[in-house]
Amino acid sequence: MRAGVDIGGTFTDLVSYDGDGGQLSIHKLLSDPQRPERSMLAGLEAIVPGGISGLEQVAHGSTVATNAILERKGARTALLTSAGFRDLLFIGRQDRPTLYDIHPRIPTPLIPRERCYEVEERLDFRGEVLQPLDLAQLDRVLERVAADDVDSIAVCLLYSYVNRNHEQLIKRRILERGIVDEDWRVVLSSEVLPEFREYERASTVALEAYVRPVMSRYIGELETALPAASSLRIMKSDGGVMRAGRVRRQAIHTALSGPAAGVMGAFHLASVAGHDRIITLDMGGTSTDVALVAGEPQPRAESAIDGLPLRVRMLDIKTIGAGGGSIARVDAGGALRVGPESAGANPGPAVYGLGGVQATLSDANAILGRLDAERFLGGNMALDLSAGERALAELARQIGYSVVDTAQGVIEVAIVNIDRAIRHVSIARGHDPRDFTLVAFGGAGPLHACAAAEGLDIPGVLVPPAPGVLCAMGLLLADVAVEYSQSVICRASVESIAALRESQEDLLARARHELRQEGIGAEAMRFVASLDMRYEGQAFELNIPFGADVIEAFHAEHERTYGHAMRWREVEIINSRVNGIGKIDKPEMAALEANPHEAAAFGEKRSPLGGQTALYERSDLKPGASFAGEALVYQMDSTTYVPPGWRARVDGYMNLLLERV
Amino acid sequence: MKGAPVSVDAISIEVFKNLFAAVAEEMGLTLQRASFSPNIRERLDFSCAVFDAEARMIAQAAHIPVHLGSMPASVAAAVEACDEFHPGDVVVLNDPYHGGTHLPDITMISPVFAGGDLSYFVASRAHHADVGGMTPGSAPLSTELYQEGIIIPPLKLRLSGWMNEGAMALIVANSRNPAERIGDLEAQLAAHRIGESRLADMMIEHGVESTAEHANALLEYSRYMTEAVIARIPDGVYRFRDAMEGDGQREYELPIQAQIEVSGEAMRVDFSGSAPQALGNVNAVPAIVRSATWYCARLLSEEDIPVNHGCFQPVAVTTPAGSFLNPRFPAAVVVGNTETSQRIVDTVLGALAQALPQDIPAASLGTMNNFTVGGFDGDDQFVYYETLGGGHGASNRGDGLSGRHCHMTNTLNTPVEALEYSLPLRVRRYHLRDDSGGAGFHRGGDGIVREYELLVPATVTINSERRLRPPYGLSGGAPGQCGLNIIRRDGEDTVVSGKHSAYLGAGDRVIIETPGGGGWGVNQSDAEVIPG
Repeated sequence: MRAGVDIGGTFTDLVSYDGDGGQLSIHKLLSDPQRPERSMLAGLEAIVPGGISGLEQVAHGSTVATNAILERKGARTALLTSAGFRDLLFIGRQDRPTLYDIHPRIPTPLIPRERCYEVEERLDFRGEVLQPLDLAQLDRVLERVAADDVDSIAVCLLYSYVNRNHEQLIKRRILERGIVDEDWRVVLSSEVLPEFREYERASTVALEAYVRPVMSRYIGELETALPAASSLRIMKSDGGVMRAGRVRRQAIHTALSGPAAGVMGAFHLASVAGHDRIITLDMGGTSTDVALVAGEPQPRAESAIDGLPLRVRMLDIKTIGAGGGSIARVDAGGALRVGPESAGANPGPAVYGLGGVQATLSDANAILGRLDAERFLGGNMALDLSAGERALAELARQIGYSVVDTAQGVIEVAIVNIDRAIRHVSIARGHDPRDFTLVAFGGAGPLHACAAAEGLDIPGVLVPPAPGVLCAMGLLLADVAVEYSQSVICRASVESIAALRESQEDLLARARHELRQEGIGAEAMRFVASLDMRYEGQAFELNIPFGADVIEAFHAEHERTYGHAMRWREVEIINSRVNGIGKIDKPEMAALEANPHEAAAFGEKRSPLGGQTALYERSDLKPGASFAGEALVYQMDSTTYVPPGWRARVDGYMNLLLERV
Repeated sequence: MKGAPVSVDAISIEVFKNLFAAVAEEMGLTLQRASFSPNIRERLDFSCAVFDAEARMIAQAAHIPVHLGSMPASVAAAVEACDEFHPGDVVVLNDPYHGGTHLPDITMISPVFAGGDLSYFVASRAHHADVGGMTPGSAPLSTELYQEGIIIPPLKLRLSGWMNEGAMALIVANSRNPAERIGDLEAQLAAHRIGESRLADMMIEHGVESTAEHANALLEYSRYMTEAVIARIPDGVYRFRDAMEGDGQREYELPIQAQIEVSGEAMRVDFSGSAPQALGNVNAVPAIVRSATWYCARLLSEEDIPVNHGCFQPVAVTTPAGSFLNPRFPAAVVVGNTETSQRIVDTVLGALAQALPQDIPAASLGTMNNFTVGGFDGDDQFVYYETLGGGHGASNRGDGLSGRHCHMTNTLNTPVEALEYSLPLRVRRYHLRDDSGGAGFHRGGDGIVREYELLVPATVTINSERRLRPPYGLSGGAPGQCGLNIIRRDGEDTVVSGKHSAYLGAGDRVIIETPGGGGWGVNQSDAEVIPG
């Protein structure tokens, strides 16, 4: 028996699978934010019929690392840098985050300045020693670090990605002197991110040192709670899972654990049904995550969390502050704005009846009759429509519109924000959204998917059978992923590429060993070798799979991405990578026979747009069923809105496919 | 509050604001990623914007404030210089007296058509690390424009889609690093292709007339919001005087005098009384003065006003002809864009502080600390340009930021690991300058110390300010510390002037200590020990 467990801020979602063509079961319960391991256990007991002792594997998506960073509740840590560079984290890239701000602020660094220390040593860019490590001075620094009583120590020296000796000497000294008691508490930049750009590397190593003790403790609690025979895996931001023990080495790789699980779940379900080029729309109460997968997930290494650069490979997920709880207001210039301020869960949207008075996106949907007043969240919550109407009437008064038109306007403004996020992950990366299917999930995704698709001419929308538990599904389906990279920085030539091909054997051996440790058999292993390449003089690399003519492949990719190639220019290779995948056995998904037929609505109601809206129950819809908009499809954890001019049909995998007529 | 001031509805104004901004943003992303010089790809010293057919700015991708208020002049100059436009044209220019600001900033402008009608322009401006001139990096201690590099009047670099290879070759041949120039100019052209096609798509999707109507509405919207900000400033006349410290030829005070007249929803800023045109490189063309003044007005808004032509309308700027804020051709101007622009901001904010003492921060570092270096690394010629941040002024709301760029610039630093890999330089120290911020109830932010070691002989040019006159404090706060430029030869330190150029040897070092920000308010503990 295997289970996927996604613990979010409000709900804990579980999906289980008993192997060999068995059944999938789904369960949802409220999270216990103080003791997440309790939510996991309670959920597992509910979903595993014979008791949790029969569990073989649990895959988990966690927000623990993310929350520790956002709330600045991570470990007490110190930073050691090369002499002359103790303020790396404070100067950053020297810019301010906002251009027109009379009193600009920067995100609070994770390590205070008084715990940042300089170590006398210096390498040059080739890794040659300009100044040897001064051990006596190091000892004096370590005296002071000892007095700081830290949980972990981050070390980031210049050029450690070429020559790691000094960092390793420092680590050895720290352990010899017992400044910290376990070796994983010393976090070296040459181990976490052996790549150039000192601030981004220092920021990444500080993030790792900040969350590693927290994640380590959390994983320890989970492992104690779970039966000894079951193995725990954690979702990483790149969409793969790793065994829980690895978290003590790669804690920061879980920063986007939950959202990545959603993307992987969406991709798996969509590709089984024949849609392997997708854009995901995961819309919740406070925010929306948008990501693009073109044939296979392609993680990128340029992102940030709470304004702090994080350079580990993560799925390219764009998050914006637009969700059901986003507040709508009229600004000083008379324009209607939606978000990023959110009513949160408490008081929440006005229709929750918990005292919220400001109009939100959920209120707008409620006014337009798109939320099921009787069965909202499976009947667990009654909607207070009159409170929603009061909130929108006030907004309508300010802009001089009817309440219904105002509600539509609120949705339209939220959609344009989503539109911009989708452009960011598609057009700005050289992908045409018209070649993709939009996969909508999260509580509010299926309500807004068609409108989002219309703005970008996306031809079709797919709503999976259980859009509210897609992250848990993604956990159950995710493969084990390992990655090894090495900064190489050299000019691309036939000779250098041949030499790199040889040195990749070492990365490959390490990846193979790691997968074996994860219990993956040789037949289930897949490896992809690639190079990060750029024209000499550029700062951004393109990741090119290692094939017959990688240099030509790079020119072609540059042309596709930027519209021009410069075949006369020298090409540089920056990083060499090997990605290993351990294929996990997936639930067999066979298509049911789909007999085309017109679906029967269980009712209808007057649409505020004029005409009637047909009402459908998702669980009544059989494969092959189809119907035209305007329609609403109700199910326990989500509502799908099918606008006029759209048609819905159910495929053999029970997905709801929406297409423009 | 007045009702919605705009002629279109509250909903679609927000929709089109995002659509236009997305065009400029995508141009910027393309330019950054395809570019070659550290100055563009690492430091993001560029801007992109969308204009209407009347050369009014509709939307911008926010990068560098000094670019944005001065780009309208570029589009106007392109329109004036060209009899007609065709699809696929790209105009290039850098002449400060015809739409430019200083020669390293090369601006491109291309028309976007709807059917047969010219409807919009997209524009990009990027700071190119070398465009020729007296010293590597094209920021020399010059006395006339001709010494600052190649002058490009508005001309078509692309005609109906065909490259003007001759013009390209001429521009590139005048740079000390031609291969990098080609790459960066190509990246700008790539950004234009993206911008042109996105705008065309937008007109197809939303209709030509509706798009135009909403562009107009966006201008009205920003104008209305800017007027609301000005209306909150008490009516009156406010004066302030600050000064530059020298023109690169000699050290002397060049006063900047601002008189601000606020009346209802309009603001007039008159710079009469400022110093006459200088012999050296600190002259600033009027586009820069307007840009810096508009920036100050935009700063006063709490609401996120989209920066476009509408923000500029309520703020009138007067610069007396023949002053160093409105120089006559061919006066040297290269530092007007970076240094004089910062002092204009200090002067305008200083005047506004009298009207809004609780809102305006003390002076920030007030200089970009421009560092240019160039020479030969073996047979290869190299050129490099960068700027340094420092301490921000404190305000009623808290301490000033340390080690960051302020006001008219927001370029990033070049990572030391990227810089040393591509140039024969070594950065020995890069840290905050402790206790350089001005004391006060809230402290000014600290400056930066950056120490460079040359690995080969090279020409170094520094253009900096606030080496003699410190950034002012406000409401009783102390001024920040002045910056300091030091050259270390054979172990011996020499303090050099704020603007300095020298040919140095291998092993020599340049140490730049940047100014701290001014403090705000009286520190209670300090006040207690002062008798009386």
